[in-house]
Amino acid sequence: MPFESDLLTLLPRLRRFAASLSHSRSDADDLCQAAVERALRSRDQWQPGTRLDSWMYRIMRNLWIDEGRSRQRAARTFAPAEAGEQVGYDGDRQIEAAVTLSDVDRAMASLPDEQREAIALVLVEGMSYKDAAAVLDIPMGTLTSRLVRGRGALIDMLGEAA
Amino acid sequence: MSEIDDATVMAWADGELDEVTRRRIERAATSDPVLSGRMEAQRQLRERLSTHYARVAEETVPDSLRALVEGDHVVAPMKGREPLRWRGWATGGAIAASLLIGLTVGRVTGGDAGPISAGDRGMIAQGPLAAALDTQLASAQGDTPYRIGLSFRRKGGGWCRSFDGAALAGVACREGERWQLQQVVPGSGDAAGYRQASSGDARIMATVDAMIADQPADATQERAARMAGWR
Repeated sequence: MPFESDLLTLLPRLRRFAASLSHSRSDADDLCQAAVERALRSRDQWQPGTRLDSWMYRIMRNLWIDEGRSRQRAARTFAPAEAGEQVGYDGDRQIEAAVTLSDVDRAMASLPDEQREAIALVLVEGMSYKDAAAVLDIPMGTLTSRLVRGRGALIDMLGEAA
Repeated sequence: MSEIDDATVMAWADGELDEVTRRRIERAATSDPVLSGRMEAQRQLRERLSTHYARVAEETVPDSLRALVEGDHVVAPMKGREPLRWRGWATGGAIAASLLIGLTVGRVTGGDAGPISAGDRGMIAQGPLAAALDTQLASAQGDTPYRIGLSFRRKGGGWCRSFDGAALAGVACREGERWQLQQVVPGSGDAAGYRQASSGDARIMATVDAMIADQPADATQERAARMAGWR
């Protein structure tokens, strides 16, 4: 089935997008799983011939905004305690080993959602401004001003040797 | 100091500038160390972020996540998918075209000999059309049943090619080992004398414009893509 096989192919990119949106790898994996579940439930809404990646990014981003806010507030520079609590998640051990946040993770996590999601789509996922603006459902000018602000903040945080 | 604003420097690093502006800023940078420093900072930031998160994409996808997709595939096969983007061109003066396509597709899908087979994966090119899509270069084609218009990579990855023949013209994209038709319109030289569509047809150009990731392949890129089996 093309939908499932395309979705399987996209999984590495979806995990990457989730990681750049989230503040911890356990959040990222939860988010990715929730997005895939939602996509499978509402696949009838996807129009063949349109971009599945954009559709998936949109689902994931909306989930993050809708459901992630409270968790996001709890998470700052340290990984939340829930990293080890996901029952039945067989990747737990690896993830716990990887929860040490790097400078980049910390800098990204400090950005407002609206800047981070723009940065994630364009700089991490490599989308064009046009496609990223479409995923976020905002005008191009809004996207570029968020990008300018977010990038300025990241360059300040990460220093000249970014 | 330079008058080039942050948005322009950023768009340069993101490859979003038009050719003229890109050249202008790159020329300006050669005599403006402040500007070239800003450009380098933006370029490095992009590189650092993309390298950092690339590691996540390179990890093995957890089995639980894969199983979610694969498991669903077994239990609930997809149904009722619309294989083609018919809606996009079902307006305007397409009634005659629709009739012709109805006849043509109806005929060509009746057996193995036609250029298209209709299956549950949509419409798949076969026979001489598949052969043209597989092997013919837009930059070098002789007197063949189909002409290739453009070869291009679509957004999200994968090769697509526009084609034009006597009865059918359209756009097909590589799906695995096959060419899946994204759009089909009447060809430019069918026997009934319809001359309303070709690979220069506005509907085909609109489809290409909507799908194309960057620029159409040049002759070298096209040849390389063919060598690589359009992967």
